[in-house]
Amino acid sequence: MALEILLILVFGGITGIVLLLHMLGLSARATLPDGAAAAKAWADEFADDPALEVILCRDHHAALITTARGRGIVWPMGADTTARYLTGARIYPTKTGLRIDLPDFTAPHIDLRLEPDEARDWPDLMEKPA
Amino acid sequence: MTDMLSYPEVTHIAVPFFIAAILAELLWIVIKRRGGRYETRDALTSLIMGAGNVAASILLGFIAWGFFMVLWALTPLDLGTSLGVVALCFVLDDLRYYWVHRFGHRIRWVWASHVNHHSSQHYNLTTALRQTWTGTFTLMMIVRAPLVLLGFHPAMVLFCGGLNLIYQFWIHTEAIGKMPKWFEAVMNTPSHHRVHHGRNARYLDANYAGVFIIWDRMFGTFVPELEDDKVDYGLVHNLGTFNPLRVAFHEWLGIFRDVRQPGLSLRQRLMYMLAPPGWSHDGSRDTSRAIKHKHLAQNPQDAGTPGF
Ligand SMILES: [Zn+2]
Ligand SMILES: [Zn+2]
Repeated sequence: MALEILLILVFGGITGIVLLLHMLGLSARATLPDGAAAAKAWADEFADDPALEVILCRDHHAALITTARGRGIVWPMGADTTARYLTGARIYPTKTGLRIDLPDFTAPHIDLRLEPDEARDWPDLMEKPA
Repeated sequence: MTDMLSYPEVTHIAVPFFIAAILAELLWIVIKRRGGRYETRDALTSLIMGAGNVAASILLGFIAWGFFMVLWALTPLDLGTSLGVVALCFVLDDLRYYWVHRFGHRIRWVWASHVNHHSSQHYNLTTALRQTWTGTFTLMMIVRAPLVLLGFHPAMVLFCGGLNLIYQFWIHTEAIGKMPKWFEAVMNTPSHHRVHHGRNARYLDANYAGVFIIWDRMFGTFVPELEDDKVDYGLVHNLGTFNPLRVAFHEWLGIFRDVRQPGLSLRQRLMYMLAPPGWSHDGSRDTSRAIKHKHLAQNPQDAGTPGF
């Protein structure tokens, strides 16, 4: 197959599929209905260090987790979630909440959308020793 | 004359079919409201990984090709190009695929390349296209050497490998439950391959097959999909990024960082490259074996069931 045709097919195919998915409403972020769901999402990543305390953000998209080992965060990865400890985190306020930079190549930046009072209070909660 | 043998680039020709099948699966899911899930950024990353895989094979394919042509010049054997030989080549190349894939999960150096295929938490036809960019660096072309030395022409071997990958495309779906019994017994199917993509303790390191599931049954790695243990897709530690560059290279960087830690012995440095994923010199991480042990400690009733 000619390279130009392959390029057009690949580029056109990817663009078309992605636009269609977005228009079908399939870009929605995962929501955590309650604290138990957040604790479960944490346990999915760190089964042997269960959540002792969960603070769910008001729009239900992310949660601050306290465990025996420290603090962590659960946040949406598209329609799913993932979780990381906050060890070595740098936290910056943004217009829509907080940005967390982690020393982790597989999770370098987390953009948290938070209400103003949450964005004000969460950095202290994150840095408070567990 | 067989030095000039050429077969069509089946994986390129299949691109329009891939696109049509993805649209059909999506339509099915949207209409039926079951049979799988799609998410925009996840699908975009999978598709970009697929495009990058094709680009990498165009750019780096000459390395494996050169290696095979050297072997082809060395071997006195030439099995010719009859249909029977192509069929035999396909079956033997599928056995080759089984072992490369098994190494891909049991040797971290090879896993660094293969991990990205498992990095989605979704399981749909786009997941099939989430392919590696770094396969050449694993040196797994060596596993194909016996085929060329036995007299299968390199072009035929690569053609069979391409057909193998195309076969595996359609099994990346939740829209198909189980196939007829005889088919599930011999062939790799959506059900068998869902198990392979599971991060459940039970499903780790199972069902490495490409086309024929018989290899897993022969070599003791077969685990059936169980109704009461729903497959949870993804990695033991799921990624926190959709960036294709990070998806493609993260495990290589992980190896690099681990190997460079101060104070390790040479053996420990080698183990960080060659031991199963999750190995660590201080036991701070879990291999699949450790994960299964921990699961059994919590769920002793699962002992002796498939996968444990
Ligand atoms: Zn695999
Ligand atoms: Zn797969």
